[in-house]
Amino acid sequence: MSERRRPRREDRTASTEPASISGNNVIWMGGRRGPEPWVEQLRPGHPRRDRTVAKLHAVLLRAAFHELSRRLGQPRSISGPEFDDLAQQAADDALINVLARLDDFRGLSRFTTWAYKFVMFEVSAKVARHAWRRQPPSRHELAFERVPDPLAAGPGDRLEQQEQLKALAVAIGKLTERQREVFVAIALNDVPIDVLAIQLGTNRNAIYKNLFDARRNLRAGMAAAGHPVPERDAA
Amino acid sequence: MTDLRRLDELLRAEDGDAGCTAGEDILDAYVELELAGEDPALVFPGTAIHLQSCPGCQTDHDGLLEAARRFAHVKPQ
Repeated sequence: MSERRRPRREDRTASTEPASISGNNVIWMGGRRGPEPWVEQLRPGHPRRDRTVAKLHAVLLRAAFHELSRRLGQPRSISGPEFDDLAQQAADDALINVLARLDDFRGLSRFTTWAYKFVMFEVSAKVARHAWRRQPPSRHELAFERVPDPLAAGPGDRLEQQEQLKALAVAIGKLTERQREVFVAIALNDVPIDVLAIQLGTNRNAIYKNLFDARRNLRAGMAAAGHPVPERDAA
Repeated sequence: MTDLRRLDELLRAEDGDAGCTAGEDILDAYVELELAGEDPALVFPGTAIHLQSCPGCQTDHDGLLEAARRFAHVKPQ
């Protein structure tokens, strides 16, 4: 199997769930749907298998093209000659994952929705890899220097707000090095989370755990300094 | 004026957040509930919280929702 065809979803699930994050507390889950023709016809030995695999690849490729197009406006998105190739790679790898995981399909959604999920994961991974190769996060994007302009207080702002931003800067300085670089890159400099994960040699879930802890610590630090940030529902 | 809501968004870290991995398995069921007009937060509260805070999972969710809306009615033959 070529490098481009190797499924990489295991990269996203390698770490254990963060201790401070609760896992998905499912309250209710709907019933299983009836027999799924896609699954039956994709099984080895089915007389229509080859034709069904080809059709599935075609619909996955359509979804991959659409998803890449949808992401064109996002930071570090794909453009140019790599676009078609990445869509093809995403569809190829999604198909491999779907065929390998047929027994995991529980009928909680339409089969195609379940299959498109693998397209989304592959597109995310490939866009991030592509972006990282072309434009890895700079040292500047990971290091805290100042509160960015869109957030910073203007000359007409009240002293209280300026003090609040000073408290934020102090709290950022008290984060662990990893929490600080993750928060600064993602929250302040819009570095995509998957690009940062590649840069730091880890996965999305681990980066999110760092971000979650950083946010918690910053909020607590600002509250301790006398500048609590009202939560959305309390605002 | 400094926007406190912007600051709140930057620092959002809610209790009950399921994290990224937990949502991967159920994201398809989550969007199907949305397309059916139901509230997925009632079934998957941890992922509903997570999707408000994780930019990567938000993007996957939005893409899957759109793909399911546009392309899910495909039969194998």
